[in-house]
Amino acid sequence: MQYLVVLLIFAVFLQTRMTGLKRAVVCLAAQSGIIACACLVVGFSVGGGLHAVLPGLLTLVVKVIFIPGAMLRLVKKITDDREITSTSRVNYSSLAAAVFLVMGYLLVDRLFPGIEGRDIIAASILMIMTGLSMMVLRKRAIIQMCGLITLENGIYLLGLLITEGLPMVVELGVFLDVLIAAVVLVILTNRMSLSFMTTDTTVMRKLKG
Amino acid sequence: MEFTTTQLLYFILALPIIFSVTAAANVLSLPLLHWADRLTATLVAGAAGLLLITFNPDMPVHDGYFYIDALSVWMLLIISTLYLAFAWTSKAYLERDTNIRYGYLRRFTHLEGRFYALSHIFVWTMMLVVLVDSLGLMWVTIEATTLVSALLVAFKFTRTSLEAAWKYVMVCTVGICLALLGTILVYYAQLGALGGDMPLDWAYLAEHGSELNPRLAKMAFCFLFVGYGTKIGLAPMHAWLPDTYSEAPSLTSGMLSGALCTCVIYVLLRATIILMPAVGVDFIGTMSIFFGLLTIGIAIPFVVVQRDVKRMLAYSSMENYGLMVAGFGLFIPMAVEASLLHMMNHAFVKYILFYMAGTIVETYSTKNLMRIHGMIHQAPRTAMFWLLGIVGILGMPPMGVFFSEFYILAGFFKANHPYLGILALVLLAGMLIGILYHAMRMLGGRPKRKAAGELMGRVDALAMLVLLLGSGIVSGFIHELPYLGELLTKAAGIVMGGAL
Repeated sequence: MQYLVVLLIFAVFLQTRMTGLKRAVVCLAAQSGIIACACLVVGFSVGGGLHAVLPGLLTLVVKVIFIPGAMLRLVKKITDDREITSTSRVNYSSLAAAVFLVMGYLLVDRLFPGIEGRDIIAASILMIMTGLSMMVLRKRAIIQMCGLITLENGIYLLGLLITEGLPMVVELGVFLDVLIAAVVLVILTNRMSLSFMTTDTTVMRKLKG
Repeated sequence: MEFTTTQLLYFILALPIIFSVTAAANVLSLPLLHWADRLTATLVAGAAGLLLITFNPDMPVHDGYFYIDALSVWMLLIISTLYLAFAWTSKAYLERDTNIRYGYLRRFTHLEGRFYALSHIFVWTMMLVVLVDSLGLMWVTIEATTLVSALLVAFKFTRTSLEAAWKYVMVCTVGICLALLGTILVYYAQLGALGGDMPLDWAYLAEHGSELNPRLAKMAFCFLFVGYGTKIGLAPMHAWLPDTYSEAPSLTSGMLSGALCTCVIYVLLRATIILMPAVGVDFIGTMSIFFGLLTIGIAIPFVVVQRDVKRMLAYSSMENYGLMVAGFGLFIPMAVEASLLHMMNHAFVKYILFYMAGTIVETYSTKNLMRIHGMIHQAPRTAMFWLLGIVGILGMPPMGVFFSEFYILAGFFKANHPYLGILALVLLAGMLIGILYHAMRMLGGRPKRKAAGELMGRVDALAMLVLLLGSGIVSGFIHELPYLGELLTKAAGIVMGGAL
């Protein structure tokens, strides 16, 4: 578990530094893969059975294979050079992620003093905050989607740790929702690149007031 | 024939799905599709009516993953009435929208099936929200409504509608993710205090709410309030709301405004009932009243300077949500009952207004309300219903909204918040001036623009009239009406449950 947390934090830091769309999606898949492993580890440590294996397998299928696959297909269609690699400076994002990590540890010690798995909660707070900042600060639609999945992963990890997994039905529902959300966002991005000729969300600023 | 509640429930939940699959498969011819749509909604609304008659408000039904008590039946009635109105106005709306001369969708064909399928699934997910038994499933279904309605918002796939839909999905999903965090914290508190039995089950948690850890419960409430508040459109998390309501097809705007946001308020109420004993009434009440009044206050300047008809209505919706949330935050039975009544009145009247706004936009082929004058001369029937709707939403007697707003405001004074009550009155007066100014400009004056003529037909005018009368009669005589009066009192009792 310790190694997984280190890997996860590394993956999130890498995520903040990605400028190429394709690499960002691959990085997201790797991050979800680590979450899937964590699911399986927690599942088997609590006890076997379907409830132990299913969340991990679903994470693998939905967040590692299906969603990044759909996003990669979308990226292939985008031919605008400015979008595939952007020049936006990423050093501030990484710095912010470092601050979030420190903040995560401080928060854990304040809110849940002496809880087991302090590092994992700090990592999940890092993921939630990083995902939020990616959605707010980055302009390209695909990176915003990566941010959303990172946020979702962070919340999922937190839930997995403190409650050893939500009730079965709820968990299935959450996965279904993530799946539909990805489909809806891919449809919208596709349409966006058709009618705006770009997936840069800064062009969308007509609606105001 | 006698039906049990469960049978009716399965009937209500099965029909829309069957219809959506048929509509999406595009096997029916267009007239047949319109009739099937009306038939489905009428049968579902009829079943909901039967459910009201057979249901005993003192005996909640808990069956499988479903839980029905007076509060859910009340919500189900609101949703199914809007569903009925949707079905009986959709034909006129779609025919106008695809009209070869002025319609928005004239360049596309055969979109009716897709529109119907998405709309019915949307209603179906909203019905699930009010019928499921656990906080976790409520979260799942609320998120599902966001995703289904996002496709409806982007239905025209114009640039602005894409922008609105993108903003809608992004902002609401983040909000809803925070609500998931809150739900997880509730579950954590439950595991700590009560063990792993009946995870997140609403009835069980509502009974044992006082045993939850207060610190955790407070944290969970904050996350839930911010998360669901985003989806309701409370200020300052309302950025998505005016865009979405103005860009969606008018029927969808009406459903979003009337049914969806009330569903989210319902879920927030359910969560509040659980957390109330542990968090304390004061904290919850202060939060609700503060954010409710803030929402009203922020909506006013945007209404006054507004140029877009549907955006104006969207800000008026925000005002009404603010009033409802503040009304629930008072925690006295009269105000809670009035807020529940206001949910219904707002839903009905706002559906009418959005439908009329859609008609006006088609008549004048502009959304800019500064360019519309002299509706009374050019389209008298449209003008009359527009006026009735405006008078209705502003809370003038004898419309339904008058009664509910009056009791909410009286609640402020009764609950010993006289200054807040005066503030609310001033804010509502500002809203009234802003909306009435624009609406009167549109109605009167000399026509300066060519209009497409009178577009309101008989069927949709009748549906509007029924909604208006229904809202007025139900709110005026709620305690004289059979079944409904008792249902509303019981529903308010459930909301007050945690405070006693």
